[in-house]
Amino acid sequence: MSHRLGFWLARVLTFLVLAVAALAITAPFLWIFRGAFSGSDAELYRLPPSLELGNLTVRNFGLVAEQVPYFQFFLNSIIVSTVITAAQLVTCSTAAYAFARLRFRGKNALFAVVIGSLMIPIQVTIVPLFLVMSKIGLTNTLWALIFPGIFSAFGIFLLRQHFLTLPRELEEAAKIDGSGRLHTFVRIILPLSGPSIATLGILCFTYWWNDLLLPLVMISDTERQTLPVGLVLLAGRFSTGSLGTIAAGIAMAIVPVLIVFIAAQRYIVQSIASSGLKL
Amino acid sequence: MTTSSTLRPGVVDPGPPAPRPPRRRGDGAAALAFLTPSIITFLVFVLAPTVGVLVLSFYNWNLLSDGTFVGLDNFDRLFHDGRLLGVYGSTTYMALAILAVNVVAGLLLAVLLETRMPRWLRGFFRLSFLFPFVVSASAVALIWRFLLNKDLGLVNYLLGLIGIDRIDWLGSSAFAPVSVIIVNSWKTIGFSILVYIAGLQSIPNELREASIVDGANAWTRFWRITFPLLSPTIFFLVVINTINSFQIFAEPRVLTQGGPGDSSRTIVEYLYDRAFGDFDLGYASAIGITFALVLIVLTAIQFWFSRRWTFYS
Repeated sequence: MSHRLGFWLARVLTFLVLAVAALAITAPFLWIFRGAFSGSDAELYRLPPSLELGNLTVRNFGLVAEQVPYFQFFLNSIIVSTVITAAQLVTCSTAAYAFARLRFRGKNALFAVVIGSLMIPIQVTIVPLFLVMSKIGLTNTLWALIFPGIFSAFGIFLLRQHFLTLPRELEEAAKIDGSGRLHTFVRIILPLSGPSIATLGILCFTYWWNDLLLPLVMISDTERQTLPVGLVLLAGRFSTGSLGTIAAGIAMAIVPVLIVFIAAQRYIVQSIASSGLKL
Repeated sequence: MTTSSTLRPGVVDPGPPAPRPPRRRGDGAAALAFLTPSIITFLVFVLAPTVGVLVLSFYNWNLLSDGTFVGLDNFDRLFHDGRLLGVYGSTTYMALAILAVNVVAGLLLAVLLETRMPRWLRGFFRLSFLFPFVVSASAVALIWRFLLNKDLGLVNYLLGLIGIDRIDWLGSSAFAPVSVIIVNSWKTIGFSILVYIAGLQSIPNELREASIVDGANAWTRFWRITFPLLSPTIFFLVVINTINSFQIFAEPRVLTQGGPGDSSRTIVEYLYDRAFGDFDLGYASAIGITFALVLIVLTAIQFWFSRRWTFYS
């Protein structure tokens, strides 16, 4: 009897901990979304937060664009993240295929260089990166945000690990058929790698969608900024803007990643589980 | 890297000797074609800046005038920079705390998620834990700037309900780094949980079932079976979280501007201010190089220690 009691106690405790953690993690978002629809700052800051949904207004969302060129920020962020993601998927998957399957001289040395570059974060090379960009005249353009993101040692490593798990027989069969390397890659390897490629795509997109450092360094015109800096600019307008407006700006920046993420989260779990992110 | 070694074909029965094996031809040309996009972007945007940061560190340069070669002066300055040591201290404090929260609390939550529950509920928990991970650090920090406000914030209100006095989360040097730790851990723990879940799923069920039959309770089962088999995952998370948490920039920048004083300043923030505030590019490069070396040494130490406690099946 006491055994049963202990079992149920453990279960209740488990769900209590999980529920509290889930609440602590989601509550700030619920609060900011509620704040985005609130009519006045007093209402946004009311304690305890009001749960009634009576005084909702969408006015704040319109006001955001009056404070800062919000939709320009949004567009810039979309362009930068999408182009980097597309380019990274191409460069990483082709390089990963070469490392996983092709035989060529210097392969191991080259792969060691790739892994070694993981150790040198962009934060360290940001100064010369800025100089390179200003030398080729790309500072203050979106290209300055796009180019540094294209090469990804992490992406090459992730996809290589996955390609190594694919059975070689499939490719051998294709070889006998006389199809070329590119054909094998496009027709056999890529279709079997959906989850890994989706994972890399999501991690890449969200990383560059959220990056604050590079736009701070590279971009000086407000119109060419991306959302993370844009939000800070928006929040800096305390004197002219209301808190509800800031909340609306934050909420709108969150929604796209939320959609991408919910649509593809099962791929991430699946891919990490199968490819085994292990050192 | 274990995957690659397990996949390498074992000893294969050679069979009857072929009369004259055709010479194995490499795939040099194909490899070059497949690697070219990565090689070009690597050379221009990774290797060139890496060489650049090395060269710059020997110069005194402010973008406007011509640079002057100063030898090792910039590195010498590192040792006489009174603030730098303090910034390393606050960075290390915050990074280690974030690492501990991720590795320990992440494991606890991941193990609790293994409890039997309906699929939708598990999905809901997983989704809510992971969600902040995909939201930008600057948005996250802005939200928490509201919540941690001393007079109007929700956090102090909730603490007030249980009788704790208002805390100056963002304006006191004791609590500013704590705020950065809370906000960054809150954002990153979902990823750690996810990696743990993947690690837990790769533990064969038979082992656990066998131990249940043997009468082991949940506690023994965790320490004798789950924990050892999970050690490579824990190691992966320690390495990744160390590297990531030492590099934080956005949270302190938006939450506290590194202050008050340097209490919540990180190395990357300090480097950024030296480079793009003071335009002291040579010195900033020296900070960057030494910081990269610190990260490399830390990682190497972790790899060395890991041989003693990780268990690869």
